[in-house]
Amino acid sequence: MSEIERRALMKGAALSALAFTAGGVEVLLSPRQAHAQNIAFKTLNADQVATLEALGDTLVPGAKQAGISHFVDQQLSIPPEQALLEARILNIRPPYANFYRAALGTVDKASKAHNADRGFAQLNDSERHAFVDLMRQNKVEGWQGPPGPFVYLVLRSDAVDVVYGTMDGYAALGIPYMPHIAPAKRW
Amino acid sequence: MANAKVDVVIVGAGASGTLYASVLAKAGKKVVLLETGPDWQLTDLISSDFWGRRVKPAGIPFLLEGKNPYGYAYQAGWGVGGAALHYFANFPRYLPNDFKVKSEHNRGLDWPISYADVAPYYDKVAAEIGVSGDAKAEELWRPKGAPYPMPPMKTFRNGDVWKKGCEAAGIRMVPAAVGMNSTPFKGRPACIYDGWCHVGCPIGALANPQVTYLADAKKAGAEVRALSTVTRVLTNEAGSKVTGVEYYDAKKEKQVQEASVVILAAWSAQNPRLMMNSATDKHPKGLANSSGLLGKYMMAHYASGTWALFDDDVENHMGTVGAQYMSYDRYDKTSKKGAFGSTYIVAGTALKTSDLGGFANARFDLFGPQLADFMKRAKRGITRLTAFGEEMPNIENRIELADGKDEFGMPMAKIVHSFDQDAVALWNANFEEGMTIAKATGAKEFWSARGNQPTIHLFGGTIMGNGAGDSVCDSYGQTHEIGNLWVAGPGLFPTEGASNPTYTIFAVSQRGAEQLVSKWGTVAG
Repeated sequence: MSEIERRALMKGAALSALAFTAGGVEVLLSPRQAHAQNIAFKTLNADQVATLEALGDTLVPGAKQAGISHFVDQQLSIPPEQALLEARILNIRPPYANFYRAALGTVDKASKAHNADRGFAQLNDSERHAFVDLMRQNKVEGWQGPPGPFVYLVLRSDAVDVVYGTMDGYAALGIPYMPHIAPAKRW
Repeated sequence: MANAKVDVVIVGAGASGTLYASVLAKAGKKVVLLETGPDWQLTDLISSDFWGRRVKPAGIPFLLEGKNPYGYAYQAGWGVGGAALHYFANFPRYLPNDFKVKSEHNRGLDWPISYADVAPYYDKVAAEIGVSGDAKAEELWRPKGAPYPMPPMKTFRNGDVWKKGCEAAGIRMVPAAVGMNSTPFKGRPACIYDGWCHVGCPIGALANPQVTYLADAKKAGAEVRALSTVTRVLTNEAGSKVTGVEYYDAKKEKQVQEASVVILAAWSAQNPRLMMNSATDKHPKGLANSSGLLGKYMMAHYASGTWALFDDDVENHMGTVGAQYMSYDRYDKTSKKGAFGSTYIVAGTALKTSDLGGFANARFDLFGPQLADFMKRAKRGITRLTAFGEEMPNIENRIELADGKDEFGMPMAKIVHSFDQDAVALWNANFEEGMTIAKATGAKEFWSARGNQPTIHLFGGTIMGNGAGDSVCDSYGQTHEIGNLWVAGPGLFPTEGASNPTYTIFAVSQRGAEQLVSKWGTVAG
């Protein structure tokens, strides 16, 4: 059997898109599609979504459009043993929503403390960059919550996942993806 | 609910558990494997870094303490196949000096057996499940053994550049021994070098349990019960024998499985936790723990990674996630001045973009437009060298029961782990040598992958030795105090060497399983 034939044989052997709810109906979408369709969030509130999207784009340009908030939100709504988050392999104890709520809340609180009561999503690009640079080095004064470098690690990983870890991400970089079993919806 | 008594119940369907199941089922024993996670099939192994996380644990009932808390999740298994479902399948051996550290250096511990005792089982495992490599070339460092059944794997430029750099630095590299097929083997296809080994190989080119020992065990009649979590090993009134295990099934209903022999193959940390939670008035400190050494001498490897970035294409999307080249030239315990322990060097690996091993983490300090620029520059030109280091056994590195309980009412446990000064010194020395090698490759840029000292693989907790005074088990895995209670896996290792452990886990398990079969009448009684 040729290599191409073998890959083709395995393709489609498992379903691997994420389940979102649109209009009361469960649909399988990639996070990018869920973002484009403005699918309602299940777990995160509006402030948390705004912070996550701003943080995601600061960490990895394109993360918001790639659906970081829908990815994380959908993942927090399913049982932890089904989760695909990097939190899973970073030894974060489930439920993972506890970590994300604490991390996003801490970022916003610290941002307000240092930026005239403006949350992270209200900062301009250079202010966001400067804040994250301090956070990753654990140099944000008065920080109270999950350690800044760890928040950086987890959320940067999520942003890398949605931008660079997908089949679309590989295609954009020009790297052959070469799956044995391809994720559905180019995931 | 009680089930019909069987000959053997095995707790854990990973590398060692499935090997035991295969050997025992083929010997005609009625075998039941209990596995806490799902019954993964090859078709579940989606080629994706995030979908691949499903085969790893989502939280375990262990608290992580010490200066270097043990980072379990990336490398641990969850479900049938265990960690060997997503391992890199590097198959280096331990060397003779690994077995006699105490005798030769008055440091650490000795194994109660030597390399010569294990060597025939390395050869046997290679013939059984398939190893690709160049055994003759390895004789630079080890005694002669049987040739591997398959020639070395293909190499790519991402490995070749490091071979050149190592040779310039005086380090000899030979083809890495791997549990993968360079050619078709026993009906399984050859590898196609797509680099998705770490999320599970679904084509059968990599020797994961689903296509080797587990398949053989099932064919011989072994039964696998997935989503079955064992909470206690049961003993008779006198405490002289184990009688089976208590577990919770997929519906979370309590079950008892009686067996003539119990084999614990659940993980280096989980085996001691189970044995401690099985304490009785006859075994007040936990089963087989009169020595007080149950849960002690936990060890971990650590890695010193070096990145090199070339202007041209090093084919870094091609290959396996295991190694193309390996070297034991720094394996002497005293090879690095001011440090102690072996170093094992590997090079040549396929790189993906994301996850812990992805090249987005090669410059972890970068984010925003700088990261985007780096990803474009690195996409075809980046490659990594890794030097694994050895930690000496330290009795303070341990597993012990902790406050709090899991969903089945079983006490939590904690893993306490800190590296000593020798391990820190060796880690640093290996970074320095990595930079020397990288410079010799002619790379445009190179740098050390420094961060927190990582913990890789997990050993100890149920170490083997000469008797109940110095250890928990004998060299076969039979506990000294309860003849029909056996332990399998790297928890038996009194020292950890520096090379990847799974080949040695298989070899030691094969030796133990054959011993159990040959002594069955005495053991099962």
